Amino acid sequence: MVEMVDMSVISPGIALNDFLPIFVSSALVIVFGGFYVGIYTAVKVGMFKKWAMPLAYVFWLLTAYCLYIMGSLMHVGDFTAKALGMAMIGYLLLPHAVYYMQHQVHEENDH
Amino acid sequence: MTNKSVWSDSRFWQRSASWVTGFAAILLIWLTFDTSAQISMGTDSDLQNGVTKRVPGPTVINYKITYEMSTKRGHEVPVIGEKEKFFGRDDYSEEEAGELLHLGKLGSQAKNCMDCHTLLGNGGYYAPDLTKAWLDPAWGPEGSLQAMTGKNTKEEAMAEFLQHPSQYPTHARMMPNLGITAKEAKGLVAFLKHLSSIDTNGFPRNFGKIQGAIHGK
Amino acid sequence: MANNHLTGIGSESKQLATWYLTVAAILFGAQLLFGLVAAIQYVMPGFLFEILDFSIARMLHINALVVWMVFAMFGSVYWLLPDETGIETIGIKVGKLLFWVFTAAIVVVVLVFLFVQVGPADETTIWFITEGREYIEAPRWADIGIVVVVLGFVFNLYATGMKGNRSGIVTVIMADMLAFAGIYLAGMFFTDNITVDQYWWWWVIHLWVEATWEVYVGALAAYGLITMIGAHRKVVEMWLWIEVAMLFGSGILGMGHHYFWIGTPEYWWEIGALFSALEPLPLVAMFIHVLYDWGKTQGAQEALGKKTSVINNKPAFTWFVLNAFGNFLGAGVWGFFHTMPQVNLYTHGTQFTSAHGHLAFFGAYATILIGMMYLAVQGTNGIKVLRSTKTSIWAVSMIAGGVLGMTVALTLAGYVQVLVSRAQMGATWAGYFDGQSGMWFSQAMDWRLLMGFVTFLGFLLLAKDLLTTGKNPVHER
Repeated sequence: MVEMVDMSVISPGIALNDFLPIFVSSALVIVFGGFYVGIYTAVKVGMFKKWAMPLAYVFWLLTAYCLYIMGSLMHVGDFTAKALGMAMIGYLLLPHAVYYMQHQVHEENDH
Repeated sequence: MTNKSVWSDSRFWQRSASWVTGFAAILLIWLTFDTSAQISMGTDSDLQNGVTKRVPGPTVINYKITYEMSTKRGHEVPVIGEKEKFFGRDDYSEEEAGELLHLGKLGSQAKNCMDCHTLLGNGGYYAPDLTKAWLDPAWGPEGSLQAMTGKNTKEEAMAEFLQHPSQYPTHARMMPNLGITAKEAKGLVAFLKHLSSIDTNGFPRNFGKIQGAIHGK
Repeated sequence: MANNHLTGIGSESKQLATWYLTVAAILFGAQLLFGLVAAIQYVMPGFLFEILDFSIARMLHINALVVWMVFAMFGSVYWLLPDETGIETIGIKVGKLLFWVFTAAIVVVVLVFLFVQVGPADETTIWFITEGREYIEAPRWADIGIVVVVLGFVFNLYATGMKGNRSGIVTVIMADMLAFAGIYLAGMFFTDNITVDQYWWWWVIHLWVEATWEVYVGALAAYGLITMIGAHRKVVEMWLWIEVAMLFGSGILGMGHHYFWIGTPEYWWEIGALFSALEPLPLVAMFIHVLYDWGKTQGAQEALGKKTSVINNKPAFTWFVLNAFGNFLGAGVWGFFHTMPQVNLYTHGTQFTSAHGHLAFFGAYATILIGMMYLAVQGTNGIKVLRSTKTSIWAVSMIAGGVLGMTVALTLAGYVQVLVSRAQMGATWAGYFDGQSGMWFSQAMDWRLLMGFVTFLGFLLLAKDLLTTGKNPVHER
C-alpha cells in the first residue's frame, strides 16, 4: 500500500509574519488582564469612581480577544484551546471572588 | 461575634493550601516515576533489536544518526541508521562507549560548557546550541568547519577544534582554550553524538534547512 | 501604629539580619559588575578573552545573584522573626557562627571560580572546582556545606516558631524554607544521562524560583504590609494562604514548561501549557492585594480626618510596590509570552529567556529584598517614619529603568534570533551566527550594555543611600 502522507498530523510551524502578533497579543493578554483586575479593585476600594467599572469589563473582553488571536496563530490543539477558554472564564470570576472574601474578613474583624 | 463564613476563615484556606500543595506534589512525583522510566538510558541490545528509546544507550556512537520529519509524531525525530565509524571504529562495546560518554559528560561540566552554549536549549546564549551539533551541516563533509580544521571526518574535526579553539576562529566571538586534552576531546565528541540521538520532541525545529524553512522567504 | 516593630536595637536576631543583608548588598554589587563584563563581551568579544571569559563572568553573574538573594532571604527571616514570634530567635549563637561559615565558603568558591575556572574531566573537578551546572555550579564540597548551613537556619526558624507565637506568616515561612532546603538535594548528584540530569536540575531551579521563592515573597509582602501601612493581620494572613494555594497549585506542575524539549515525554506539553497559563494568576492576585490593602488602610485613615500617609517607610514601600508590579510584569507578562510549547519551540534558549530572567529575578525578588534592607535601616536607627531622599528616588528610578531597558533590548535581540536563527535556519552553527550578526541584534546588545551601566550607577546610589539615610535628619524619630 502506498503510504499517504497526511499533512494534517504534522504540527504546523509558525509563519514568520505571525511571530510578532503572537508575542504582542500574548503580552497584551497579561497587560489587559492586569488592567481588568486593577480597575475592578480600584473601583471597589473607592480609589476610582463607579463609572470606571464598565471599563474593567472592556479590558476583560480585550484580554479574551488577544488570547483568541494568540491561540489561533499558534495553532493550539483542542485540549489547550479548551484549557485557555476555561482560564478566561476563571479570570472573569477571580477578582469578584477575591473581593468578596477580602470584604467579608474586613466586615467580620472591623466591627 | 458575627457568624463566620467559611470563605473568610483563615483555617479553611490553610487547609486548602495544604491540600492543593500536597495534591500537586503527589501528581508531580507520580509523573516523575512515569517519566523516569521513559528517559532511562537504553542498552546495546535495544539498539541491535531496533527498540526505540528516548535516550539511547552509549553504543549509539557506533551508528549513523539523522534527524528526520516523522509523519506520525508531527515533528522531527532522531533516526538511528546503519553502522558508522567513529574515530575509525564501529564496534565499541557497551563498556567502552559508556566510558567515553562518562568522560564526555564530566568534561562538559568540568569546562562549564553550559555557561556559553545551550545543551537541550538550556544554558548560556553566547554560543551556538549544541543539542544537534553532531548533525550540523557545517561539521559535515561539505561543511566549512570540517574544512577549516583540515580533518577528514566529522569527529576528528570536532576533536581538533575543541583542543585548539582559538586557532580556528569562526566569528569575532571565539571559544577560549579550556585545556581540553585529546582524550577529553574524544569523550566530548562522543557525548555530543549521543546528545544528538536524544528524542527532544522536535526541538530544534527546521534544523539545518537553511533555505528550506517551511515558511521561509 | 506598629511601632513595636521598629526597634532593632538590642535584638541579636536583628543584628544577624543586618550582617546577612550587608553581605547580600555586596554580592548584589558583584553580580552587577560581572554582568557588565559579560555585557561588554557581547559588544567587544576580545574583552578579557582567555583571562575572564564569558563563561566565567556569566557564571559569577548568576551565582552571585542566587547567593545574594539567599543571603537576603535568610537575613529577612532573622529580621522579622522577633517581631512575629515575640521572642528572641533561639540558637542565635549557632546562627552567627553559620553566617561566618557560609560567608567564608562563598568567598572560597568565588576565588576558585575566578582563578582556577575549569578543571580536568574527572570527579575532582566536580568536588573542588565546579559542577558546571548552570546556577548551581558550586562544587560538591560547597553543596554539602550549604546544606549544613541551611539546616542550621531551618533549625533556628523551627525552634523559634514553635516556642514563640507562631503567626500565619511564620508558619508559611517554616513550611516554605523546609521545602526550599529539601529541594536543593535534588541537584547534588552526577549522571551520564543528560536528560535525567536536567530533569532533576529543574527541580532545584524551577521549584525554587517559581514555587518556594514566590511563596517566600508572598510571606515577606504580608509582613511588609502589616509593618509599613498597618494592614489588618487577619486579612493579610488569610490572603497569604490563598496565595500559597495558588502559587503551589500552579507552580509545582508549571514545571512542565521546562520539560518540553529535554528528552522527556510529550505529555508535558499539555501539563506545561495548562499550568503555565495559570501561573500569572497568583501574580495578578498579589498585585491586587497590595492595591487593596493600601486603598483600605489609607481610606480608613482619611475617614478619621487625617490626611497624612499611612506609609511609615517610603523607600521600602516603593520597593514593595515595585515588587508587586515587577513580579507581574517580569514573571507574568515576560513569562507568559514564550511559555506555550508552540512558541517555546522557537524561543527556547534565545535571548527571550534572558530578557525574562532579568526582569523576573529583579521584579519578583531583588525589589522586595531591597525593600527589606530599607526596613532594616529604619529599625536599626529607631526611625518612626523613614522618608525618601533624593538619592533613594534616583536609585530606585535608575535601577528599575536600567533593568527594564535591558529587558526591552534583550527582547528585541531575542525576536531577531527567533526569526533568523530559529524559524528559518533551525538552530545550526551558521544560523546562530547569522542571527547574532544582524544590525538589530548588535544594536540591541549596545543598548543592553548602556542600560546595564545605568543599573550599576543606580546600585551605587542605592548603596550610598542605605549607608547614609539612617543618620539623615529628615526622618521622623
